[in-house]
Amino acid sequence: MKTSLKWGAPVVGLVAAMALALPVQADKHGSLPDTMAKPGGFPERPLTMIVPYGPGGGSGQVARGMIQGVKDATGIDITPDYKPGGSGMVGLKTYMAAPADGYTVLEHIDDATSAFAIGKSNIHPAEDLIPLVISQITFSQIYIRANETRFNDWASYVAYVKSQGGKSTIANVAGEGSMERINMNRIADHFGVKVQQISFDKGGPRYAALKGGQVDALFEQPGDVRGFLESGDFKPILTLLKERPPAFPDTPSMTEVGLTFTPLMRFRGFYVHKNAPADRVKYLQWAFQKGFFTDSYQKFNKSKFMDLIPSFRDTDGARVLINETMDIYRQTYKEMGLIQ
Amino acid sequence: MELFLEGAATLVSSPLSIFIFFCGLVGGLLFGAIPGVSMLTLAAIFLPFSGFLSAPDAIMFYSVLYCSGTYGGAVTAILFNIPGAPENAPTAFDGYPMTQKGLAGKAIGAAVLCSAFGGTCSVIFMMLATPLLADIAVTHFGPPEIFSLVFFGIAVASSVGAKTLWKGWLSVLLGLLLATVGLDPVAGEERYTFDLYYLLAGLHFVPVILGFFAVAEVLVQAERRATGSYDMPKFVTSFPSLAEFLKLKFAVARSVGLGFFSGILPGIGATLAAFLSYNEAVRWSKTPENFGKGELEGVVASETANNAATGAAMIPLLALGLPGGALTAMMVGVFQMHDIEPGPLVFTNSSDLVWVVFAAMFFANIAILVLGFVETKGVLHLLRIPFQYLAPGILLMATIGAYATRSQVIDVAVMFAAGILAYFMRRTGYSVPGIVLGLILGKIGEQTFAQGMQMVSYDTYAFVSRPIVAILLIAGISTILTSVYRALKGTRRDIEI
Repeated sequence: MKTSLKWGAPVVGLVAAMALALPVQADKHGSLPDTMAKPGGFPERPLTMIVPYGPGGGSGQVARGMIQGVKDATGIDITPDYKPGGSGMVGLKTYMAAPADGYTVLEHIDDATSAFAIGKSNIHPAEDLIPLVISQITFSQIYIRANETRFNDWASYVAYVKSQGGKSTIANVAGEGSMERINMNRIADHFGVKVQQISFDKGGPRYAALKGGQVDALFEQPGDVRGFLESGDFKPILTLLKERPPAFPDTPSMTEVGLTFTPLMRFRGFYVHKNAPADRVKYLQWAFQKGFFTDSYQKFNKSKFMDLIPSFRDTDGARVLINETMDIYRQTYKEMGLIQ
Repeated sequence: MELFLEGAATLVSSPLSIFIFFCGLVGGLLFGAIPGVSMLTLAAIFLPFSGFLSAPDAIMFYSVLYCSGTYGGAVTAILFNIPGAPENAPTAFDGYPMTQKGLAGKAIGAAVLCSAFGGTCSVIFMMLATPLLADIAVTHFGPPEIFSLVFFGIAVASSVGAKTLWKGWLSVLLGLLLATVGLDPVAGEERYTFDLYYLLAGLHFVPVILGFFAVAEVLVQAERRATGSYDMPKFVTSFPSLAEFLKLKFAVARSVGLGFFSGILPGIGATLAAFLSYNEAVRWSKTPENFGKGELEGVVASETANNAATGAAMIPLLALGLPGGALTAMMVGVFQMHDIEPGPLVFTNSSDLVWVVFAAMFFANIAILVLGFVETKGVLHLLRIPFQYLAPGILLMATIGAYATRSQVIDVAVMFAAGILAYFMRRTGYSVPGIVLGLILGKIGEQTFAQGMQMVSYDTYAFVSRPIVAILLIAGISTILTSVYRALKGTRRDIEI
């Protein structure tokens, strides 16, 4: 998709929220009680977790990580039920049709927020659902092959893209209005270049496209390509954060290359229906937040670079994150002419 | 060889490892045979428990399950026209007609032998050159090449099972149309969803295939019974002879090659391997009109290729960390649970684990051969059940299978709608295999075409001038023109349905 858009003023709320999150995370860990009485015996049987994506991707992995964390913290069993399709909409709407009794919970990502903002979904993730915990917030990077000969850093990559007159390609997983496409469009617009964004909905073909030289670059989150980074096949040339994270000291941040917009983050979390009984919701909030702080979940998050940004958001924090992200999407969609 | 023996030694070093090996083997055979609850169901159920096993045992379970589950679905496809999984659908095209002719033993025997042979060959190739093959596959086969491979396959699809060429093409085009239901692969726009969120993900293969094969078959047989033309399948346990296999040696070799090749390509996998292999069997046959009516080569092509694809699918997974399908994607999760990242480093950091996988898959394919022949003697007795008892059982199994796929009632409705559609298509000479081929190939064809055109900035010349693309497109167009020429000249024999 070729784009040339004018972008509005950057939104700063997310940055402030990110900066304040670390002490909140530590405080919350200390304030959570070690045990909590089961309300009326709930749950008397294993819970079901609807996961609106396939088992092999980031959502399937974080779902299994949290299921183990909740099990370690509370002994509660949760069965994952994968319902992929429609960029997460099939699972989301299936969840809303399930009984609101607390026995069914939902995993979802920022796609639920962007879908509501653009009008593809009528389910507001912070109003029609109650966030139990946001457990992963991650940034994106742009990768090239480590043995690429046409360019080897951000400056030479931009120069190459310019020279191609719109024919340079980048792989991502991007529908119109998605986090990936909006971020990439803003980068392209800033540098006055046009890039062919090619969407691969499965990780395997997406990474194969870069590895095999079918595309020039890849837009992805670092945890998903960790194997390629460690093997030396892929090399990050830009981190979409204001500052270089410690894990990527040699990769320039967006500020260093002159980008001033607030990047949209990928976030994954767990929800329950707003009509679920209040005492059960409170118990689930405790169980999932305890699950986040277990050793097994912390180890899992670290293996995915999810410790670089404080990922923890309790219910109130998640609502702030969702609503601020929603505002950014709405503003962006208006500028793109996708909504009124 | 030394590494292989070390892997085999690890495999048999503890009773638990041997137990897990057989759990994967038998689990795959059972779950593969029951429609709707495929090997993926068992794989998903087992996933939380795999964290409690050692890394070699956990990975071995999934490797063995992949081999046996791919074969397991062939039995019900042949006996009852119910493919256990989409990759077994082409097996039913000729396997079930063979059952009706009293050749079920021959068809299942061929499926067992070919599954084991195809799987073993691919494991051997995998052991010999995994990193090299993976690199070649991703370097030379991008979306444009995969699209042209799909086009090459579709070009021959019209000649399978239809009464005339034109009805064959209409069937394929209807399949391609059905493949467009859901979100489009470029902009994510909704198409033919009628505001039903169930349709956002498109029509799922499993209920459609169950409808086309199982429900339609019950309707056809019920009609025959009502009109007094029903013949109960004969109970014969004759297995295929060595001479019959030797006659099909080129078909087997071609199917191994095609299956292996399809398996290496990330995102392609066993289903497309089976369909493409079946199409090539039709293309190269001297008697293409016999396909769809009980041709042994149809079963051979499908089952050899889908099992050859299993070993091959492990190549991009192990060498590059690229899963080719749902089961290999789950295996990435299993690797990560044990702090192992599949990819180039796995050969350096965990080579013992890799060779356990190779050894487990090798022995799984050998075990399929033994267990398959033992199992065949037993399952053939199912054919003795009278139709009036068998039909409700088939419908019940199919209904459970359709619902279990996504726990959606609409999938049951889709299955019955597809069954009624297929019943009338068969009565009027249209091709059920054609529509299934269109549906399966259409989804991946559209996506790779869109990606390919974006890659070349919508420059058609740049797209078609890629050497592999050009060769496959020319071959496909030649096939279409030849069949049209034959139809116009009246040399294409009509096929009675």
